[in-house]
Amino acid sequence: MIYTAVAASVLAIALTLYVQRRMAFGAFARRGGRRLTDADLVKVLMGLEPGQLEELFGLYGEQFGPGAARYARRTYLKWKAGEVRPNNRTFRRLLVHLPRVMSFDLKCEVLRRFREEFCPRDEHWLRVRAEDWKESLGPLVASSIEKARTAELPAAVAERLRWLSEGEMQAARAILAESQAREASDALSMLRQEIAAVERLLAEAPGARRVTHRLKLPCAAVTLEIREGRRHGRGARRDSPEEAEFVPADGGRHR
Amino acid sequence: MFPLTADDIVDNALQSLDERQAREVTKKAADEVVRLAVEKRKAEYRGHAARDEMRNLIDNANLLDRRGGDYKINSTFETATGTTNVEIRKSRQTTVVVVAALVAVLLLLSFLFFNR
Repeated sequence: MIYTAVAASVLAIALTLYVQRRMAFGAFARRGGRRLTDADLVKVLMGLEPGQLEELFGLYGEQFGPGAARYARRTYLKWKAGEVRPNNRTFRRLLVHLPRVMSFDLKCEVLRRFREEFCPRDEHWLRVRAEDWKESLGPLVASSIEKARTAELPAAVAERLRWLSEGEMQAARAILAESQAREASDALSMLRQEIAAVERLLAEAPGARRVTHRLKLPCAAVTLEIREGRRHGRGARRDSPEEAEFVPADGGRHR
Repeated sequence: MFPLTADDIVDNALQSLDERQAREVTKKAADEVVRLAVEKRKAEYRGHAARDEMRNLIDNANLLDRRGGDYKINSTFETATGTTNVEIRKSRQTTVVVVAALVAVLLLLSFLFFNR
């Protein structure tokens, strides 16, 4: 009995240490502190949408022959999962030679994937009420918008893939940065309706309730713990003028 | 003196590009506006669906509450802007156990105090 307890404790401690190390390593890598490998870059490339991957493998076949393309198609899931590490020749084919013949659209999508993966991302946690969420969250969203506009790929990526910062790709970077900034701004406007729905749930559902919302922004993720508003306790009237501010655009009707 | 805006960068880039490249950049900018609108619309649909599901959750929780007894509901909603997690629970048993434990501790303390 004692041996089992000791073994379980050791296992739990080992597991905790492993998870902590993995998390720290992941954060370190996202900050650009870890040396990026060819496999890391290929892995991100393999995360393109299916249609874009099809275009990529089509070009691969045209440039390096049908045998090479067959191998790439067969192996891409393993590259994506990190089970197989692509050799230097494959890396150069995919990320040095192919961009010379890629369409501008495809290059933009590759750049988008790299920005999503490697640009710095902040994590925040906030406890808010329905009536004060905007004051608490506003500055974070504003900072995320600013960060999206100015975010650059880590030097390690930019140095290895020089084509990402040359010629028309500078314009692509500006377009994608502005697009990310607008996504963050759209998220803030849509969040208003979501908070209203959560507030209604907190006011009308019985029992003990705990609500968290993970807001995904281009350069940040914010976890909100939403508490019941002071003026919207259970049984509170919901037709006051100030309540109208939180009623969804559809008038609160649910289809 | 002032930081470069996205417009400045695009303008600068366009000056150094040939006609074909400039056309591609302009087209990409227009496509991106459309993509954003489509993504926003998709997000709004997700938001509508999530609000409907939350309404159902409230109804279900109220139903369980009326039936009496303990319950715990965990729900996750994919909304327009992210993921919402909701936990609703009612546990009379837990309350009884906590109260009983407190009473037991108090009794034990008073027993120890009066028997010194």
